[in-house]
Amino acid sequence: MPELSAALSEYSDLFFEGFRNTLILAIGGMIGALVIGVVGASLRVWGGPFFAPLGTAYVEFFRNTPLLVQLSFCAVLFAPNNLNITANPIIVGILGLSIYTGSYVTEAVRSGILAVDPRQIESARSLGLSQVATLRFIVLPQAIRTVIPPLGNITIALTKNTSIVSAIAANELLKVAGIIETRTASFDGYLAALVAFWCLTLPLAFVVSRLERRLKFAR
Amino acid sequence: MTANRGRIRLGRTAIGRLVVVIVAVGLIVAGIVTGALPERRWEPFLQVSTWTFLGQGLLVTLIVGGIALVASLAISVPLGMARTELRGPLGWLVTAWIELVRATPILAILVIVFLGGPRLGLRVTALQAATIGLIIYNSAVLAEIVRAGIGSIAKGEVEAARSLGLGYTSTMRFVVLPQALARMIPAIVSQLITLIKDTSLAFILGAQELVGYGRSFFNFYGNSMETYVVIGVIFFLICYPLSRLSRRLEAREPGRERVVVTGEADQIAVATP
Repeated sequence: MPELSAALSEYSDLFFEGFRNTLILAIGGMIGALVIGVVGASLRVWGGPFFAPLGTAYVEFFRNTPLLVQLSFCAVLFAPNNLNITANPIIVGILGLSIYTGSYVTEAVRSGILAVDPRQIESARSLGLSQVATLRFIVLPQAIRTVIPPLGNITIALTKNTSIVSAIAANELLKVAGIIETRTASFDGYLAALVAFWCLTLPLAFVVSRLERRLKFAR
Repeated sequence: MTANRGRIRLGRTAIGRLVVVIVAVGLIVAGIVTGALPERRWEPFLQVSTWTFLGQGLLVTLIVGGIALVASLAISVPLGMARTELRGPLGWLVTAWIELVRATPILAILVIVFLGGPRLGLRVTALQAATIGLIIYNSAVLAEIVRAGIGSIAKGEVEAARSLGLGYTSTMRFVVLPQALARMIPAIVSQLITLIKDTSLAFILGAQELVGYGRSFFNFYGNSMETYVVIGVIFFLICYPLSRLSRRLEAREPGRERVVVTGEADQIAVATP
């Protein structure tokens, strides 16, 4: 125990910087992914013969290539003078995570849109509900029920994937643990990083499984 | 009417593919014309030696992925059965192990095996550490899929088998597992895609697999961006057919209960009603 507190207390500022950056990556990535996902799903559902295939191509390509390759590409793309490494790893990380995760969000949102039977919308409209009222009382309640559990799962996966941004030299939890290890030869940084990740993912997993069960019965 | 509808749909996918190809070719041409993608940086990819070089990396990636898949599957079946059947402290231990491993970033597992292994007297190369890490993570995920698969078999079947005099092992071996495994196949294929993508993380440990070979390659030719695109396309060519396969297997029996696992982004396609 004394060794643990020694290495960690010496570098506690660095460790919390790493934790903060992991949070920034996760939250920033999720916001970006939601924006991309809503646009992508709209393209796939209502895009017509030109935009729908582009939405599909985006989803298929970015879901079937490794995040590491996408992040490295983004890092090189925004590198000054072909240095092969970016000066702003956090921003590039958020961008890469958004693009990768956006492909999953697109699929989740699309399944939400498609979960509502078009005949229900027609019936609602012919019963005299306005377009807004149809959206508010018929479409959204059902769509959100379908979308929330997968979105929760995507958020968990995204939180775990933030660790890969360490590969482009972003100071997130795993990178910080590595720095502590090289400076103090203590493994405690990694153990603390593990616990920190669990503090983020385990409660999320618990909430998602509860939500899944509740929404399943609510249907 | 039905035939007609089929023809229309076929026409639409054909148009869709055409649009994607035209846009992709247009982007490349625009890149070359505007100078964003200079021709000379693509030229190395016209040489045979490039492909034999990258092929070596691809071979490593495929071998690591293959070993990890087989080993994870072999471990996941008993682990998933233990997760379903064991009660008491031993059961909690198995549950805690699976949940904690699934809650951990896979890169963290790889790094901890690689750097923590020697501290416990286990000297491993980067590639071995990556393989072990992949097995630890994927066996836990697959165990959860096995559990869901076993859970999806009707209780009556087990009761019938038991009352016919089959023991627990025979019931599992002849009644439950064959059906459960069949239902799990789409989920397993979709996890295989994640596994293949995750082999790239071995590169971060310093192992020479596809991404590592690609890096050596572009350090020589100075065409990093183009190399990453090519590597991405290679991964896509492996993973996309697998994802098509997974969806086709799912669609084959639409009425059947699906095996869905919480917490895995790749299971969304499986979870869609």
